[in-house]
Amino acid sequence: MEGRVKITLAALAVRLAIAPFFMHSGDMGSIYESSRIALSGGNLYDFVYQQTLQMQHATGLPIFFEGYAYHPLLIYFFIPFYWLFTLIAGNSPVIIGGHYPSLPVLIYPWSPLVIMMLKIPIILADVAIVYLLAGSDLKKARYYAFCPYIVFISAVWGMFDAIVAVFLLLSYLTFTKKSHFLAGFCFGISLVKLYTVVLLPLFVIRLLGRWRALGEFLLGLLITLVPVAYYMIVSPDTFWNVLVIFQGTRVMGGVNLYNFIWTVMDVHFDLQVSRIPNILLLVGIAYLLLRHGRKLPMLEAMLAIMFLSFLFGKVLNEQFLVSIFPLILLCKKCDRRLWIAPFAFIFLRSPFYYFAIPILWASPYFYDLYFQADTLWKSLQTGGYLLMPMYAVGVAFSLLLLYNLLQVLKAPRLKLV
Amino acid sequence: MRVTLKIPIVTTFFLAYVIALSFIPLAHQTFVAQSSWLGYGTGAYAFQSPTYFVLFNDPYDGSSKPNIHVNPTFAPNERISLVEFSDWTSYVNGFNLFNDFNVTMNISKTSRSRLEATYTRPGLVVHKFVDVSAAGQVIVGLQTSKEMVAHIEMWKWLMTSINGFTIQDTLKPKLIPITQRINFTFRDQTFLTSGGGSIELSRVPNQIEVWPFEGGFNRVTVDFINSEMTFTVSGTTANTQQKSPIWNYTDLPYALPIIAVTVASLYLLVEHYGRKGKDHTRRSRS
Repeated sequence: MEGRVKITLAALAVRLAIAPFFMHSGDMGSIYESSRIALSGGNLYDFVYQQTLQMQHATGLPIFFEGYAYHPLLIYFFIPFYWLFTLIAGNSPVIIGGHYPSLPVLIYPWSPLVIMMLKIPIILADVAIVYLLAGSDLKKARYYAFCPYIVFISAVWGMFDAIVAVFLLLSYLTFTKKSHFLAGFCFGISLVKLYTVVLLPLFVIRLLGRWRALGEFLLGLLITLVPVAYYMIVSPDTFWNVLVIFQGTRVMGGVNLYNFIWTVMDVHFDLQVSRIPNILLLVGIAYLLLRHGRKLPMLEAMLAIMFLSFLFGKVLNEQFLVSIFPLILLCKKCDRRLWIAPFAFIFLRSPFYYFAIPILWASPYFYDLYFQADTLWKSLQTGGYLLMPMYAVGVAFSLLLLYNLLQVLKAPRLKLV
Repeated sequence: MRVTLKIPIVTTFFLAYVIALSFIPLAHQTFVAQSSWLGYGTGAYAFQSPTYFVLFNDPYDGSSKPNIHVNPTFAPNERISLVEFSDWTSYVNGFNLFNDFNVTMNISKTSRSRLEATYTRPGLVVHKFVDVSAAGQVIVGLQTSKEMVAHIEMWKWLMTSINGFTIQDTLKPKLIPITQRINFTFRDQTFLTSGGGSIELSRVPNQIEVWPFEGGFNRVTVDFINSEMTFTVSGTTANTQQKSPIWNYTDLPYALPIIAVTVASLYLLVEHYGRKGKDHTRRSRS
């Protein structure tokens, strides 16, 4: 069997073996609930908006319900697999309360099956990346296929950043092959998580003066925005609040130097301070685009913008690095070991119920183990002991991103016409 | 041996940025966080006065409504719970304050030291407020437009005596003589220090009951029929303790700048010597 196929099948097997037994309860719960709402014809954003209004009314604070705050296209990746699940198990809920920061109720034996089904598009995205990478370098494909961080995010947690990653990789590959329509289309789909939007000015600036190519790119992008236009017409307030206001007014934090804010228990103050990195992000992107946007090779230019957005973007969750990890593997200037910091961070930040279910709830013995570990974790967390290594890892990761940013900026310059 | 580091200007800026931001929690604690109710991202509120730390939990949790802590003089950053009002176990007109009401919370428009919570259900609205007075007391009040039959539970792990009653003469839950002042003493298990507190009631209650638990009392319940009642809570700890605090959550703002400087220094060293190592490797290969 060809090496490329072998490594792809091996990557698939590893992920499928793990997938049914674990999940990030918040994110998988959110995708599960959203799939249910969408399949029954409901408006995803209405549900999230109502929850937000209720929370703000009850607390008098500018806090948001963290539910489906993504591009409407995203849910269409999951609906077919959820629909297949309902053909087997029916329509009754099998994950109850997964949205909330508390323990969800899981209905056995169906919950492992639905978790597995909802992870299939994520796993397919991962496998597609392995296949694409293997086309140019088998070692890089192997690295991606078995990197513990990548496997954890996709197969254990069930986060869908691999979908962002595969379409970002495709947009890069098609762009460099001058298939600008496809590049725009793939880039548009990569926006299912909004943080790649910072790359749009780069694509545009690279195509300035080549108006036909720019037109093709924008046409491809516009097609992916049709569902956005639909929601902007059907429920503009709801959509705007959930997608733009929520994302724009999040309190900073994550695997970055800004997670110190988690020690400041004052949401109004936190929101004010969270504006600082936003300003630097805008200035930094403008500088990079004008100074390096047309001169750096496309791969390095894309990575430079993404590294900068990770440095000055106020939220950098553990899984975000997955989106650019294939590009990092393709780049000779980057250090592929960057994943170690967010991987370590996962175990500092997340209580066990974030990912050690449903397997730990499958028997009283496992549940007892889970309960003991979770109690220990919570006592360390509330004592502030975990916040110190979390901050140290956040700062270290930011500095590593800075180092990689400076390295990619040293790439040989192009002469663009 | 003299070591010189050549630091690029971007790196210098970024390191200064990291270190400067790491002082934000300390600045907040010093200049902003004192003597005002502050809302958490979870929906809870907290108040830090020179003497008390008061937590009022989010609407999705029935405990700590509020939980009044005292800051011991031997360790001002520490918090020892003095009295916790529980919505889980308190009732008005037979309705549980946590399960049977919708709650909304906000800071009073007239005073930043007053938190107001409105409990609503069909035909009944109860206003609860928590006011931290400048005089060094925490006032928890309940008001309704018409007379209410209330059962309020206050928890403390553990009180060694309540109005002179000790565990020796109270082996079962016991109604104690009706009074408008409840005095209690306690022994904190973490710092092995003792202390005392008082709860002053604005109206005469119908009954006061104390509940023994493992060598002390863990709660005192007050039943009353009235349209309003305030509980004025105050307390102190002894100046001496047998166990010194080593670390507390509120020490974090001091630790963060140290961590930032340490990680930044490590980065510079690794970057400098890493580069030297790489140069050396390249030279030896050639």
